[in-house]
Amino acid sequence: MNSEICLSCETIERYLGEEEERVHALRGVSLDIEAGSIHAVVGPSGCGKSTLLYVLGLLDLPDAGQVAIELEPVLHLSDDELAYRRNKFIGFIFQFHFLMEDFTAQENVMIPMRKLGQLSDSEMHQRASGLLESVGLGDKVRRLSRHLSGGEQQRVAIARALANDPKVILADEPTGNLDTANSERAFELLQTLVRQDRKALLLATHNPVIAEACDWIHEMRDGRITASHPRRGLGPTRN
Amino acid sequence: MTPPLYIALRFLTHRKRALLLSLSGVVFGVAIFICTQAQTQGFTSYFINSTIGSNGALVVRSRFRPRYEPLMVSAKASKETVGRRAYFEGITNANEIMRVSRQFSDVVSCSPVLRGNVSARAGFENATVELYGIDPALHAQTTDILHQLVEGNFDDFRNNTSSIIIGSRLAETLQASIGDTVQLLAPNGEYWRFTVAAIARAGIGSIDSTRVYSHARIAQALLQHPSGTSIIIYKLRDPNCAPALAEHFEELFQHGATSWQDREESTLQLFLTLRMSVAITVSLIILLAGFGIFNVLTMSVLAKVKEIAILRSMGYRRFDISAIFLWQGALIAAAGSLLGCLLGALMTWGVSHIPIRLRGLLYTNYFLVTWDWRHYVFATLLAILAVFIASYVPARRAAELPPVVTIRGSR
Repeated sequence: MNSEICLSCETIERYLGEEEERVHALRGVSLDIEAGSIHAVVGPSGCGKSTLLYVLGLLDLPDAGQVAIELEPVLHLSDDELAYRRNKFIGFIFQFHFLMEDFTAQENVMIPMRKLGQLSDSEMHQRASGLLESVGLGDKVRRLSRHLSGGEQQRVAIARALANDPKVILADEPTGNLDTANSERAFELLQTLVRQDRKALLLATHNPVIAEACDWIHEMRDGRITASHPRRGLGPTRN
Repeated sequence: MTPPLYIALRFLTHRKRALLLSLSGVVFGVAIFICTQAQTQGFTSYFINSTIGSNGALVVRSRFRPRYEPLMVSAKASKETVGRRAYFEGITNANEIMRVSRQFSDVVSCSPVLRGNVSARAGFENATVELYGIDPALHAQTTDILHQLVEGNFDDFRNNTSSIIIGSRLAETLQASIGDTVQLLAPNGEYWRFTVAAIARAGIGSIDSTRVYSHARIAQALLQHPSGTSIIIYKLRDPNCAPALAEHFEELFQHGATSWQDREESTLQLFLTLRMSVAITVSLIILLAGFGIFNVLTMSVLAKVKEIAILRSMGYRRFDISAIFLWQGALIAAAGSLLGCLLGALMTWGVSHIPIRLRGLLYTNYFLVTWDWRHYVFATLLAILAVFIASYVPARRAAELPPVVTIRGSR
């Protein structure tokens, strides 16, 4: 196993809902994500894939267990500290791209950079343009996001997730809303970017083709990871 | 530019209709507040300036007997209120009082006046008038009489002891003009003839319809008054210190003393009530504008739930989210106040040119307004407060929205 763990969780428990509608969404989930690796979480709807991603992305707090970024436990931190780590270390990609409609493609990519505040205005413009160029949208940087097609919007979302050069990218069914051609293109793009910059990618997906292309596949059922195995021919199964 | 301000600007400018609605509420609220305050204070200031300019900021009048409390009083008497002072008509030592009072730094000048009511006749017209026997030089220093002359010349009055100055409305009543003869009826039944040297307009109906100025010695002879002075009127550096000085003068000179605030108390209370009534009405307009902004921002929060969740997922803190909505409120308040102040000034200017013909309590041909920077500051502060309160609740609500619920709900 790779020692360069950039995101991990241990025995995560998470309940959702209240009283009679209370659901045990995550049951003792543990996971290590190494730099330069691509992990897929697969399983039926409602098995806890998205909940796991939100907990790992510090968007949701578990009822028990621990999350660590670069081996440093973070759940004891304040809401502001968690927001800072989310901004700096994690990039999110959602199924419905979730772009800011009143902003251009370039401005959408710049929003996380503005918050981090490490680059000047011109540097942010330059980096956003570069990222959009790398996802094939170099000619649409100034177009309002609502005027882009679904595939283009998802590519802007990918560029935005990479804006602050995060260590980890969490993608919740990033191709779920795209046709086959756009799905393949978006995933290839993610693969390339993750590999070349040695980032970690954890994606929740229903798409078996995409899952099979990942380094690791984690199967989930009823809030548990029932099996973790590497891509065929890559190595042994984890328990 | 901070990220919340940047995002707030974009949110605002992309919802133009909502922005216009919020902005117009603040603009009109501020403008109407400024304009109405300028009007009501305009009339008040005009009245105050006129009354001080004609009757002085402070008046020393009749001498009173010092009140001595008996050492032993009956149980019944002890419960009664303090007995009234005994006053003696006129001021016998006016020169001494004036000499001493001029030592006070607040006193600019003072003028002795002999006052009495007589009948006036000109042609076939009669009127009861208030005769003011004055020292022309001292009175010109102490009051605004020189500026109040609408016809004739003050020097003609000064150089001719058998001349008078009459109020403008009295001149209309008596149908008298410059050079005409007006007869005043002395207590012994004799008519004294005077030439009208000038006509004065104080701007206050009660003065302009009754006031006649003559030379003090002539008035003393006509009224057959022994002391020669009934009141001393004062011009003060700061008219607002008149009540304190009046109290001091009463103790010092043992003469009654009245400040302009006490003298005109009932009229001033009327103006104050009017101003407060208008201010309350207009504040309600600003409050309504605030309520409009509250609605717009609340709707904006509901419309931007998805964006809020996105921003939170990208590392924006709760504080940043509330700052976005507070900034929107602040931008509306700033732009609305600025435009409101400009519109308020324009409306005030416009109102000051509306012709009205007031000939009652005050004399004016146009709406009276006051240009006071404090109206603008107060209106702006009121708008900022209303908008802040209106923005705070939606901003807090936005900050407390759990992003995961929105993201899950969008699946």
